[in-house]
Parts: sequence; structure tokens; C-alpha cells
Amino acid sequence: MTCSCSRRDFLARGLYGIGLGAGLPLFLDRTSAALTAQALQGTSVEAHPDRILVVLELSGGNDGLNTVVPYADPAYHKARPRIGIAAEDVLKVHDGFGFHPSLVGFERLFKDGKMAVVHGCGYDRPSLSHFSSMSYWHTGVPNAGEPLGWLGRLADDRLDPSTRNLIVNLGTSQSLAVRSGKHSPLVFDDPARFRRDGTDEQKRVMAGLAGPGATASANTTLDFLGATARNAADSSDFVRQASAAYRTPVDYGIGNAFGGGLQRVAALIAAGMKTRIYYVVYQGNAFDTHVQQGDVHSRLLMYTADAVRAFIDDVARLGRADDVSVLMFTEFGRRVEENGSLGTDHGTATPMFLFGKQVKGGFYGQPPSLTDLADGNLKMTTDFRRVYATAIKEWLGYDDTAAVLKGRFQTLGAFA
Amino acid sequence: MVRRVRFLLGLLAIVTALAAATRAAAPAAEWTDDLSPIAPADWNAARAAHLLERAGFGGTPQDVAKLAAMTPQRAVDWLVDYERVEHRAVPFDESGVWDPGMDPFPASRAEAVRIGRERGEALGAKVLPEGSQRRLQPVVDKFFYGLRANSIETQRLGVWWATRMLTTPRPLEEKLTLFWHGHFATGDAKVRDYRMMLRQNAMLRARASGRLRDLLVGILEDPAMLVYLDNGENVKAHPNENFGRELLELFTMGVGHYTERDVREAARAFTGWTNDVLAFKFDTAQHDFGAKTFLGTTGPLNGTDVIDTILAQPVTGEFIAGKIYRYFVRDEVSPAVRTELGRGFRASGYQMKPLLKRVFLSKDFYSSGSVATQIKSPVVLVLSTYRKLGLQDLPTIPDFGNLTGSLGQRLFDPPNVAGWAGGRTWITPATLLQRGNLFRDVLQPNPAGFRAPDRQMPGIYARVGENLTKGMNITEATKDGTGDAESNQVDRDEDYNTRYASYRGYIMAFERTKPIPRHAADFSLTALTAAAGATTPEAVVDHLAARFLSVPLATKDRDAFIAYARSKPLTSEPALRELLYLVLSTPEYQVN
Repeated sequence: MTCSCSRRDFLARGLYGIGLGAGLPLFLDRTSAALTAQALQGTSVEAHPDRILVVLELSGGNDGLNTVVPYADPAYHKARPRIGIAAEDVLKVHDGFGFHPSLVGFERLFKDGKMAVVHGCGYDRPSLSHFSSMSYWHTGVPNAGEPLGWLGRLADDRLDPSTRNLIVNLGTSQSLAVRSGKHSPLVFDDPARFRRDGTDEQKRVMAGLAGPGATASANTTLDFLGATARNAADSSDFVRQASAAYRTPVDYGIGNAFGGGLQRVAALIAAGMKTRIYYVVYQGNAFDTHVQQGDVHSRLLMYTADAVRAFIDDVARLGRADDVSVLMFTEFGRRVEENGSLGTDHGTATPMFLFGKQVKGGFYGQPPSLTDLADGNLKMTTDFRRVYATAIKEWLGYDDTAAVLKGRFQTLGAFA
Repeated sequence: MVRRVRFLLGLLAIVTALAAATRAAAPAAEWTDDLSPIAPADWNAARAAHLLERAGFGGTPQDVAKLAAMTPQRAVDWLVDYERVEHRAVPFDESGVWDPGMDPFPASRAEAVRIGRERGEALGAKVLPEGSQRRLQPVVDKFFYGLRANSIETQRLGVWWATRMLTTPRPLEEKLTLFWHGHFATGDAKVRDYRMMLRQNAMLRARASGRLRDLLVGILEDPAMLVYLDNGENVKAHPNENFGRELLELFTMGVGHYTERDVREAARAFTGWTNDVLAFKFDTAQHDFGAKTFLGTTGPLNGTDVIDTILAQPVTGEFIAGKIYRYFVRDEVSPAVRTELGRGFRASGYQMKPLLKRVFLSKDFYSSGSVATQIKSPVVLVLSTYRKLGLQDLPTIPDFGNLTGSLGQRLFDPPNVAGWAGGRTWITPATLLQRGNLFRDVLQPNPAGFRAPDRQMPGIYARVGENLTKGMNITEATKDGTGDAESNQVDRDEDYNTRYASYRGYIMAFERTKPIPRHAADFSLTALTAAAGATTPEAVVDHLAARFLSVPLATKDRDAFIAYARSKPLTSEPALRELLYLVLSTPEYQVN
């Protein structure tokens, strides 16, 4: 069902059409009805109750210097004689900076004014460990043992926990970034497999079970399982049907892992899911390019840029361009100097990206020096939480970013 | 007559064991964090079942009754001193896919092609004479053959290990080896050499319950690990820090107990530690013999010096003991328990067995905070189900690797160097449904519809084969018609055709690897329930719940299952299997 209809039509079809149209089992109608009720209930206390934030994680530590290339800086070519991107190959976009040649998708978005690049993002006392640094980006509280994710805290502070599925995390496991005190994020990878199998009779029995945690217990693991089971039962049919029904003429490229995830987000947006925060991971530490990084990094960047460009186009096609923005990050950049294996070791500061029609395109912040280094690594120029604060305040319209981020961070003025 | 009496006594023991397990033994909350040993008077079937779940892969009521009949000390000794249990393990039956010339295996197709152009042969395959069409095709075919054949051998290796976990009379030996596999996480997707994975597995098993130092030396000289962490690239002129960093952060101490400088100095100490294919090699020319300062120790330190310096740190004992505790006992370890276990571990010269015995005998292990509070890993979930069914042979329909892989755990393929995060991270709304669903294929297998993953190629390559059968030439056969970017890129088709090579790689790999024998689980629930004397719907539901669950069902849910059982003939195998599917699909089944 390729749909070029208006957003309102599509919403209506998503909310009412899926359940009632196709002779689906009764319990699905209940799910649709519940979602409809949520939709009508609305959240009028918010400044922008329709706005959606999509956060993209590039796991493994993307090489920022070979992504947004400071091609005019001789120090770059000196530090990277073998793996550096030659000035003539760079897609030049801004005053001495250009994109890796695989990033034609980003070049398009940038020239259309739908992409912001923030230079030199990082934090004080940076960790070079994937796991520590990623957890700092996830929690938004570096060098501390904060238990909840920044998006989880954002939801706890600002979104009504009685509304289900305000956070969707596409991936095989839940990210710390969305770990919340009050909300139960919906986490799934393949929507086609997001269902309970069995005969109709078995499904009826299973749907009627009380499960653990229905009565007070001292076993918190069982309570957790019971809550997750209820969330799964409520959401799986809707998500599966919405994803299976989705057709789009937009080509998300061949990096199916990432493009597929973004296409699923588009499908849920199209189906009228009330989700406000989507979290999509480029999984498997993919960007950890210690060895012979040329070909593999080029491929990864192409998949990424093609998928993001497609998503932005697809959302516009759905009539939601004004409601959707994307924030993309990685846990650290890589060492300025290439290593002995045609790769790069773990580093520090690295650019962050914002995408969307409402983004004020351009470059933000100061590029870090390639010669004034700390132990061979870039000194960060923009605390990454300034970008988080920008998304929270300028995009989602929540003024009290300090409450969410546990500190004051100036926003960038990156949204129209 | 004697046999009959013995049978009846056995039955009585089983019934008693099940009844006790159902009561869940109300484990004492006041035992939490108490490391003193449990008294023989406190030993019962429920606690024996808990021990077998955690120190092994669970078992049948008969297995539980056997442990329950011992004292706790003897039960723990039997599990931990497993060398005393006779076990003639079946070695892995290699297909023999590695030809002369395939070592060292090129890092990429491009590299294979480069070698082929330079030397006229690569991977043991000769470049075709000048003037031939697609001169480099044999080299590229062979490259893809190597990748595919290795991947199939790794699947076979996973089936072999799972079979061993299922059938071993020494369950802790395999459970510990699985622990170390997750701790010293190494994945074949990067190593690309099942032979290295096999050797690492054997090394981990041989040293699993010995001294930590032997394990550390073993893993740091292990070819699979050296490849996985790029230590072949760690050379004097350009140290590669991957190995040193993971050693400190993930293998021994944890973050916060060393500096970035220590990481760099450790990397220097390990320069030149590399492998000559399947053997450890110390490359003198690449080793940095200069002075290093590591964790306050200065000298011309080498890798073993670094290990000994690490072992002198109290935090190392706590780190490993804490991780052992989280694997065998529960997710949260109190600081006092961690410190005390770490102190004892270090004082013993880092011997694993005293640590394990202390944990398995402690009151804390049997306290309410520990019992039935762990989420089973996918491998444990599937294998313990098979053990509880009393299976003697690993079912291969459905495929074991795909079952556990779909839940996030595939043997020889951890997600990254940190291994499987475990605990609640196994569970999402989607995996929770999937953890029930997969037992449908076990309980109601469909051999006719089964497609063996070790004999499947992706559609894009299968179509190449179909096109060739139709008489198309290679160029035609490898156009996929969608005109997508990949097909345009792939087929320049002058020196070689990549898509054809990939197809050929599969065909050659299928020809030269032994197939995984395929059969469904062999069991009879009618026999199991009859042997337990369960003849009423109530008794059948209670037997299945007690046999499979570590916690009692909610009364309402027990009633729902009984109502379901009432509507079915209890002598019917399919009906019993449908009922068991319901039990195995409950959230309660996820914990042990």
C-alpha cells in the first residue's frame, strides 16, 4: 500500500484501518482502540506534542576526521599519509571541510540545508574504552555511575508514563540511553518475528494469564519479566502489522541493517504510533576500524548516509517533515595519527550531526586543532551535552534541560 | 521383585523431590550475603535443584534426586572436582576443509586478488594462463570457499559443543568453559578460522578450574585471541593498544584501576606477541625491549611480567570473583561479598576450585535473593530444556545455533569483546515472545519443512545457480535484474566475477564439509508423565510445572492450564506437547 495521501488520512488509516480492515483477530482491535484512545487523549501540555526525536548511534567509535575531513589542514595529511582522504576526493561543503566521498547522501542533505555538523564533540577526562565512553554518552553523565539513560530521564521528566510506547528502541537489546525509571521502552529488531506463536486456543490461554508480578513479590526479576510480557502483548500486533503493511518508493540503500531500522521507524510513524523518541543502533561495534579501514569505513559511511537521506525523504513523503528530527552520534572519534595497520586507534572528540527540515543547516562550534593535542588525541571543543540540550530545548520544547542533563549546557541555536 | 521395589523407591524419591521443589523451599532472606556454608540439615531437593541449575544445565527429577541424596558438601565436590567423573568426550570431527596454501588466509578478497596477480597463485589456487577469460576466477572462488567452509565448520563446532554440554556427566566443566568463552570473548566472524576457535575452546576447558594465571597466559598466547584483538598488528614502531586495553578493562581489573599510560605501556610489553597461524609466536624483531612503567613497576617488562603485575593487584581477585558470582549466583554483588571472595581467591593463589566451592556451599547462594532470580542465557534456556526432557542426543531440527542465535547468543560468536552482557539484557518484549515461540519447533518439529542452515545460500546466489542451469553464461547469470548499486558494482567481470565466485564458494563448501546430521528431539511426554504417575489434569500440570519451572505458577494461571488440560486427552502426545508449550512460554520459565 504505497501511500501518498495526506498525513491525516494516513493517521486515520493507521489507527483505525489496520485493525478493522483485514479480518484480523479480535485482540488486535483492542490494541488499535487503545492506541486511538491514547491519540485522542493527546498531551496538550507540551509545546510540540507531535515532534519526534530519532537518535542514531554509530557503535564502535566512528573516525570523525575521515568523515568530516579537514582537507585544507596540512596537519591532517601529515598525520594520515596512507589512510587520509585526498583533498581532490573530498565532497567539499564548507570552508576547508568536506565529506568523505562515500557521503553523497549527506552532501545532498547539507546542500538542501537539512543538516547541521557540530565540530569537536566530547567531554572532559575522556575514556578511550568503548564500553565506558558509550555508557557516558548513553547516560549523558560522564565519569559517573548514573543508572538511567538521558532519553529515559527525559521521558521520566516530561512524558506521561501512562501512555505506552513513547520510546521505541530498534535493536536486539535495550540501550542504556533509553533506560527509564517510569517508562518501559519497546525494544525489537525484526517486526515480523515480534509475535506470539501458537494455535488460537493457545494464544487465548496465554493472553489470559496473570503472569508473575501481578501480585506483590519479592522477586524483582519476576516483576521485570511480568511487566515486559504485558508490554509485549500490548504492542506486538500493532508493530508487526504496521511494518508488514508499509510500502515506500524511497530506496534506503544496501546497508540493510541500518537502513532497515530507519525504514521501520518510518513505518511506525506512518502508522500513527505515538512514539516520541526512537533509538536506532548501527550494531556490532561496526565502526571500530583498527585495521585496514579504507574499504570498510567507506562502506559503513555510505550505508549510513544513504539510509539517513532516505529516511528524511521518506518522512517528508509522509507529510511529517516538520515533525521529525534526527541526532546522530558515536562514542568517540579516533586517534589523529593513523596506526601501523592502515587503521586508527580509539580517540576522543568527534563531530555530531543533526538532520531534518527544521534544522538550521551549517557547521557549529570550533574545529579542534590537529596539532594542539592531548596524548595524540583531539581536545574537545563542544561538550556533547550541548547538542543533547539543543535537541531537548530547541526541538522538543522542554526548557529545563538542566534537570534532565544534571548540569547547565548552552544550546546551539540549531533549530529554526 | 527387587527391581520393582527399587523402581517404586525411585519413584517415591522423585515424587518427594518434586513436592519439595514445588514448595520452593521458602529460601531464607536472612541468608543474603552470608558466605558461611549451608548445614546438611538444611539440604533438600529444592536446593539440590537450584545447585544443578546454576552449576550445570539443570536436569531431570532423577538427576535432582541423586544430588539431593548427597550432603551439600558431597554434591558440590561431585560437581566441582569433575575430573574424578569418568568422561570419554567425543572429539570434534573435522571435515578437513583447509588446503595447503590457504595459510595465512588473506584479509579480504582484494588482498587475495593482489597476491594472485603478484605470484600467479593464491590460497593454493593457480591463476589461469594468459589469454584465458577471468584469469583470477579460481583465486576468488577459493577465497569465498574458504570463508563459507570455515563458517560451516564453525556451525558444526557449535553443534559439537552443545552436544557436549547436553551429554557430559561433568556439567560444571562445560558451564565454566562457557563462562570463560564469554569472559575472553572471541568471535569467529573476525578470526575466520574454526581451527583457532577449536583450540581456544580446548585450552579454556583444560584450564577452566585451575589457576587464573594459567588461563591468562593461555589466552594471551592464544592465536584466536591474538587475531581477534589485532595483536599481530601490535609492533614496536606502532603499538596497537587493543590487546592491552581489553586485558586490563575486561579480562582482569575493570575500569578505574589503571591509567591510559598503563594501557600504552602494557601494549608495548605485548609487542611481538603474535601467531604463526595455529601456533603462538614471539616475534623478537617486533618486541619493544625498552623499559616500561606499568602499575608502578618499572623494567623491561614483557607480557608475562604484565600478567604478574596485574595478579599482584587486589582488585584483580575482586574483579574475577565478582564476575564469577554474577554468572553463577546473581546480578548484584554486595561490596562486602565481592571484597571477601576476591581476598580469598587471591590468597589461594587464584585457584578457581576453592572459590567455586565456597560460592556453591554458601548460604547466600541458597538465599531468596539468589534462588530463581537469574534470567537464563539462551544457551542455558535451550540446553536445560533438553536436559529436563531427558534427551540423550542434541536435536538438530530446529537448528541449535539458530535457536540461541535468534535470542542473542550464538556459540563462537559473542557480540563484541565484552562478551554477552547477560542478565536483563537478554530480555526485550520481542525476545521474550521469541523465547517461548522457539519451543514450538522443538515440541512440534517439522522435518519436511526444515532447511538446514549449513546447506543454505542467500537467494541472490541461489539464483545464479538457477540461471546457470537454464544455460545462461556467467555474465548473464550473475546479473540480478534489480539494477541496484551492489550489482552494478560487483559485476565488472573482467579478471573475475565476484558474484559467481560467491556462488561457487558455497557449492564447493557444501561439497567439502560434512553435513550436520538432522533429527528432531526424541522424547515421549506420555511416558514421562506416566512414569511420574500423573494421570489427572491437575497432576499433569503440576508435574510439568515442577519439572520445568523454578518458581510456582500463580494460582489463576495453574487453573488456566488445568482447564486447558481438561479439554484434551491426556494420553495424547500432541496434546501434552501443546500443554508443555504453554508452560515453557511463561515469563516464569525464563528464570532459574
